[in-house]
Amino acid sequence: MNNDDYGSGLPEGLDLRTLSAYVDGELPDAQRVALDTQLGQHPQAAARVSAWRAQNAALRALCGASRREADSGDARDAAAGSAKHPADKRRSAADEPAFIVLRRTRPWWQRASLAACWLAVGAGLALALGPLAPRLTGNAWGGIWGNAWDRLSGQPAGFAQRADVAYAVYSPERRHPVEVAASEEEHLINWLSKRLNRPLSVPSLQEYGYSLVGGRLLPGEAGPAAQFMYENAAGARLTLYVTGIARNETAFRLFRDGNRRTFYWVNDGMGYALSGAIAEGKLRTIAIDVCSALGGKPETWNGEQ
Amino acid sequence: MTFEAEVIAWLPQLRRYARALTGDYAWADDLVQDTAERALARWSAFRPNSNMRAWLLTILRHLYIDQLRGRREIAVDDESAPWRNLEAPQGEVDGLVLRDVQRALYCLPLEQREVLLLVGVEELTYQEASSALGVPIGTVMSRLSRAREHLRALLAQGPAEGPSQGSAPAARNVAPLKVVRNP
Repeated sequence: MNNDDYGSGLPEGLDLRTLSAYVDGELPDAQRVALDTQLGQHPQAAARVSAWRAQNAALRALCGASRREADSGDARDAAAGSAKHPADKRRSAADEPAFIVLRRTRPWWQRASLAACWLAVGAGLALALGPLAPRLTGNAWGGIWGNAWDRLSGQPAGFAQRADVAYAVYSPERRHPVEVAASEEEHLINWLSKRLNRPLSVPSLQEYGYSLVGGRLLPGEAGPAAQFMYENAAGARLTLYVTGIARNETAFRLFRDGNRRTFYWVNDGMGYALSGAIAEGKLRTIAIDVCSALGGKPETWNGEQ
Repeated sequence: MTFEAEVIAWLPQLRRYARALTGDYAWADDLVQDTAERALARWSAFRPNSNMRAWLLTILRHLYIDQLRGRREIAVDDESAPWRNLEAPQGEVDGLVLRDVQRALYCLPLEQREVLLLVGVEELTYQEASSALGVPIGTVMSRLSRAREHLRALLAQGPAEGPSQGSAPAARNVAPLKVVRNP
């Protein structure tokens, strides 16, 4: 500290601490009375005491009445008053607008349960909106979301993705879009039914302006798969992908990749996927029709997308 | 009185003290807000028959010191010190020009300023101040008397610099008296 003159100029037994305590009324009565008389004999000590009292008064004016500093007399009165009546201090400070905002913290278990609720809400939203995400974000995340969603919901996205890829690969093909053309429809159906070990049927999409181009055999996830291709007058193509699926689930799902859309479902041990690069609503309508034609129950999809 | 109501009842005084301590109204209001929140969150740490005000002041002090470290300002001779934004008070009290007192107050190191404000303005007893500051009573007394002498020296020197109390030259003159950086 810089107070090298600590206690200097003060008589024996009178140090600054004692004087300080005297100013603050912290001395025992006997010592205080003694000091009263001592101060009379030591003007230097008395000057200290009055200087410090003045400091206190000024500081109180500065702090307690700082908003009313326009009139120092007023400030001083307020300060003096507060010194004599400690209760008044609250009054002057309470003049300030009370704008404390108390964000009450909750007990830990309330916070924990709140957090759990939010977590549940978040998970629910993720489950509910997951399939919509590709629509919202374009397509880049479609595959990932589709995967995640399908894994979460236990749906076989695998064959839908294969159907989508097969569509992407073969639908642009001009010269060899199919292995067996529609002109040999009976042969086509027999051949693929044999390979898939299931009686297949090829629904007609003439109603929508699509006629059968033909079909081909493809490797599926766990065996052969069949792809039937349709084409309309404008050259737009749809494919129906059919493969055996171990699990028998009837959920109706949409898988997006780029501008391609694949509606897929499982019925009676077979997975079906209708892929196309046309409006989703249109494709959906066709898919429902196809499902129905293939013995599925599209009415159970109404709650789905 | 419930615990909560008691905390709230002390808020005006906490605010006044925080303003004086920081010299920055916005900062002070934040401090009081934080203090109240922490107090209400840690009500279980409060021993029922102990001194609520000292407890609150301790919380406020810890928050202030934390934030002070965060801000890394508070060179008192810094022209941008927060208290310089305070409205300069008018008038004098007991022969002391309030504006000089204000300037001198913020030239004191934090340890001296806080004890001076706690005892001189908030009228804490030495016992309460000791508990709020977390130091023995003897230390409170030493700091307090040093703070008073320090302030007296600053005030004795201040007006000698001439009537231009326009802070800038005067502030530069008192800068060497800044002895200790805040803890």
